[in-house]
Amino acid sequence: MSKISVQGLRKSFGSNAVLKGLDVEIAEGEVVCVIGPSGSGKSTFLRCLNKLDELSAGTVIVDGFNLNDKTVDLNEVRQHIGMVFQHFNLFPHMTVLQNIMLAPTELKKQSKADARATALKLLERVGLSDKADARPAQLSGGQKQRVAIARSLAVNPDIMLFDEATSALDPEMVGEVLQVIRDLAAEGMTMVVVTHEMGFAREVADRVIFMADGVIVEEGTPAELFGNPQQERTQDFLSKVL
Amino acid sequence: MFRAGKLAVAVTALLALAGGFVGVSAAVASQPQAAVTGETYVIGTDTTFAPFEYREDGELTGIDMDLIRDIAANQGFTVEIKSLGFDAALQALQSNQVDGVIAGMSITDERELIFDFSDPYFDSGVQMAVAEDNTEITQYSDLAGETVVAKRGSEGETFANSIKDEYGFTVKALADSATMYDDVKAGNSVAVFDDYPVLAYGINQNNGLKSVTEKEQGSSYGFAVNKGQNPELLAAFNTGLAELKSNGEYQTILDTYLEQPAPAVASGFFGLLSDSMPALMKGLGLTLLATGLSILIALVLGVLFGFFTVSASRVLRGIASVYVSIFRGTPLLVQAFFFYFGLPQLTGQSIDVLTAGVLTLSLNAGAYMTEIVRGGIQSVDPGQTEAGRSLGLGYVTTMRRVVLPQAVKIMTPSFINQFVMTLKDTSLLAVIGFAELTYQGQQIYAANFRTGETLLIVAALYFIVINLLTMLSNKLDKRFNK
Ligand SMILES: Nc1ncnc2c1ncn2[C@@H]1O[C@H](COP(=O)(O)OP(=O)(O)OP(=O)(O)O)[C@@H](O)[C@H]1O
Ligand SMILES: [Mg+2]
Repeated sequence: MSKISVQGLRKSFGSNAVLKGLDVEIAEGEVVCVIGPSGSGKSTFLRCLNKLDELSAGTVIVDGFNLNDKTVDLNEVRQHIGMVFQHFNLFPHMTVLQNIMLAPTELKKQSKADARATALKLLERVGLSDKADARPAQLSGGQKQRVAIARSLAVNPDIMLFDEATSALDPEMVGEVLQVIRDLAAEGMTMVVVTHEMGFAREVADRVIFMADGVIVEEGTPAELFGNPQQERTQDFLSKVL
Repeated sequence: MFRAGKLAVAVTALLALAGGFVGVSAAVASQPQAAVTGETYVIGTDTTFAPFEYREDGELTGIDMDLIRDIAANQGFTVEIKSLGFDAALQALQSNQVDGVIAGMSITDERELIFDFSDPYFDSGVQMAVAEDNTEITQYSDLAGETVVAKRGSEGETFANSIKDEYGFTVKALADSATMYDDVKAGNSVAVFDDYPVLAYGINQNNGLKSVTEKEQGSSYGFAVNKGQNPELLAAFNTGLAELKSNGEYQTILDTYLEQPAPAVASGFFGLLSDSMPALMKGLGLTLLATGLSILIALVLGVLFGFFTVSASRVLRGIASVYVSIFRGTPLLVQAFFFYFGLPQLTGQSIDVLTAGVLTLSLNAGAYMTEIVRGGIQSVDPGQTEAGRSLGLGYVTTMRRVVLPQAVKIMTPSFINQFVMTLKDTSLLAVIGFAELTYQGQQIYAANFRTGETLLIVAALYFIVINLLTMLSNKLDKRFNK
């Protein structure tokens, strides 16, 4: 059974049709990279997977939860899906540790002490043990993004969504964040990664999806898609970014 | 107490009628009215209408006060005076919250429809006055081409207007006596037309004016009870008044306030400062009380309606936006008048001045607070909400733990600003007779005519308090919103 199943997904903002019918199946442990030109609907697609955006039509089933089902508790669903944003969105009024502990304690998943232990372990995992008491404003971009990843992992999700997690970073910091994502992939996390880093997509992805104008133009293994793209638009796009 | 008294009177009156003892009351006219002996009556009066009622060293004094107390003593009853303000006193009388009103009130046909009046105890009238050093104006005909000043809506204005064409002068209207006298002293107007007793008292208090013409015949003042109520009190007042007139006490009272010039105790600025401080401090207390209560309520309203403005519900957003536009779109002064005078007429429920004042200020400040809260919440990056929601935190938790702490920090300087604005806005409540700081200042210069110095003291008090509170707020802000 698919971990994520998307059928006929459409999304419009007013009269602006952004997603025009997507069908995607993602298996457990699979790492799918989504590439495509700006404005093609990549972010919107991700945001439909945890219903940060309402769906206009189609079905999305994530971890067994049908997002169209009104009885499904979205807050519960979202605890199964971590999301990492381009601009980190750390909570500036809290320390690094408080950022990570907020969800587990507020959701009564863990006692304060347990949440703290988990948070410290996660910080160690992203290489920021020494920043536990720092405020987000005191961190570099790469450090912020690693904290944001740790924060998402704190509720112990089954799926991680990354929306251009390295686009806002200075080049020298991209590597440290990609390394964390790479480690997650190695641990078998199911992930959907929207990225402009073609080299990274080629390296970690089990499958690459090329989107343009709200549709999936082409998908395949990195070798297929990067080595031998079938569609003209894919070839066009790749020739510009590679 | 006085209710039981009224019942007793009603019973007595009935018995008297039934028994045919109608002649009895006439027979006792020159002696104390037995029905009132030992009773206590609540008497309403104006707050300040010198020389009839005003405060001296915090004590109510004046012609009305001396008169009612002496009559009470003469007739063997006790009075409890309530200084309510003129309009409020009349309202209280109509609703039987007081037994009688003495407030320098003219006996008019309209008032006689709803009240029973005593015999007139004072003949008022309009008189003209000019600056002390003015030797050119000695009669109305000297006013040709000049400007005179009169109190808006008063008999003085009516009279001045009635003769202005004949003598060729212009009439300017101002709101209160102290301002009018200052206007004449400053030379902006050459003469003032004012109620004779008020004018005589001012001159007597060395206000820098003198009268040069005789007073014009005008209305008479009377003591009033509610129509058909407390007839024994009215009778006792009339009897007592007659006795005071015949034994000379009445004339002594009038002379005290109108004839004998007050010893010229121009006490200097520091004298004024120390004399006025008790009243001003009381006013300041009320200012702070009204500000504190209003800000607290406004905060609750602001948070409530602020959340409405950012909610997903169109109805809630609509309610909030109507509320805000009404209270931001009308002057505070109009709101104050509405709540104090208009609302009681619509609901038939009288409202005390503190309640009306706090209602006005809190609803007004609440509208501004709503906008501050809305602005604060909306200025928090939407990415913060998305991060919270994507973690599985619900709307409420995301608001409480993520958005609001950041919004509050953004809002705090605006809150402090609104706090200061509301404190200053309390001064507008003086117009509905709320005895706050500005009002107390007005009362003081209405009695001593030292407008400039008094206002300086009042302004200094506001300045000190506002700056202290601002400093304190900023300290707290720094401490809690690092
Ligand atoms: N909340 C919104 N309201 C209206 N239009 C929106 C909204 N969010 C996205 N859009 C529109 O949807 C289209 C797709 O946006 P989306 O952010 O999904 O593209 P993207 O592929 O992620 O682009 P980028 O690579 O620049 O991030 C754009 O034309 C955008 O203007
Ligand atoms: Mg995007």
